[in-house]
Amino acid sequence: VAKTSLTSPPWPEVKLPDPVEEAKYHAEVVQKVNEMIATGQYGRLFAVVHFASKQWKITSEDLIMMDNVLEAECGDRIRMEKVLLVGADDFTLIGRPLLGKDLVRVEATVVEKTESWPKINMRFWKRHGYQRKKIIVNPQTVLRINTIEIFPCLS
Amino acid sequence: MVLLSAPRWLRSRLTDRFWRVQEVLKYARHFRGRKNRCYKLAVQSVRRAFVKTTKARREKKRFLRALWITRIEAASLEHGLKYPAFIGNLLKSQVELNRKMIADLAIYEPKTFKSLAALAQRRRQEGFLAALGDGKEPEGIFSRIVHHY
Repeated sequence: VAKTSLTSPPWPEVKLPDPVEEAKYHAEVVQKVNEMIATGQYGRLFAVVHFASKQWKITSEDLIMMDNVLEAECGDRIRMEKVLLVGADDFTLIGRPLLGKDLVRVEATVVEKTESWPKINMRFWKRHGYQRKKIIVNPQTVLRINTIEIFPCLS
Repeated sequence: MVLLSAPRWLRSRLTDRFWRVQEVLKYARHFRGRKNRCYKLAVQSVRRAFVKTTKARREKKRFLRALWITRIEAASLEHGLKYPAFIGNLLKSQVELNRKMIADLAIYEPKTFKSLAALAQRRRQEGFLAALGDGKEPEGIFSRIVHHY
């Protein structure tokens, strides 16, 4: 039959690779990455952590400042649990949405608890004689990320 | 005898006018023209400056989000994906990175961004097959939803 402009649909045909072969390939990759983690063939690890309602991209020896109060004294070690992504030079582990607690461990120490610089909040309507000035000082906490560790328990 | 009210010839005069004026002028020292020296002009400029910073603090969030979106769009076009396809498919594969993180990863971790783009592309193709094939073929591997309960 002759090929016209309407024989095949206008979008490109999508073909997925064979599921059996794909499963084999996936298992191989997972095993390789597990081996690499077990032997320790990674350099510096970075992690994406959800903390204080924000996401941070952190490495070891990193300083983080949050605009709120943490109920921990200065010098306390903290373990951050909501890890979204961990990566090294050759591999990344993407969580859906979080990675397991037995896979990653992120440790941090509270370094200092201060207040922010005095921010000025002013409202003014012209010709109405209305002006209000307020000075806002937020409490801040500074954390130092000590280590990021990963364990070879992929499957 | 004790006088209960002050006599009329005693007046209270303002002694720290200088410091009250300096409180306003210190915020105007880097302005241009006479408004960095003259109090009357400085008061108006400083007031407008404060009001502008308060409003800008709310708009900074909108501005930064637009910037991140532009950067993610540019990076995903380098990998052959458009921004709505990239973000939509990432969300469908349950990866909840926000735009700030994806923009930072695109700048500092190009290999990670490439893998995220590949994930989005694969999820997109599985979505097409699921929509066109009408459920007779097996479900895609990357479209499986992970339940955490």
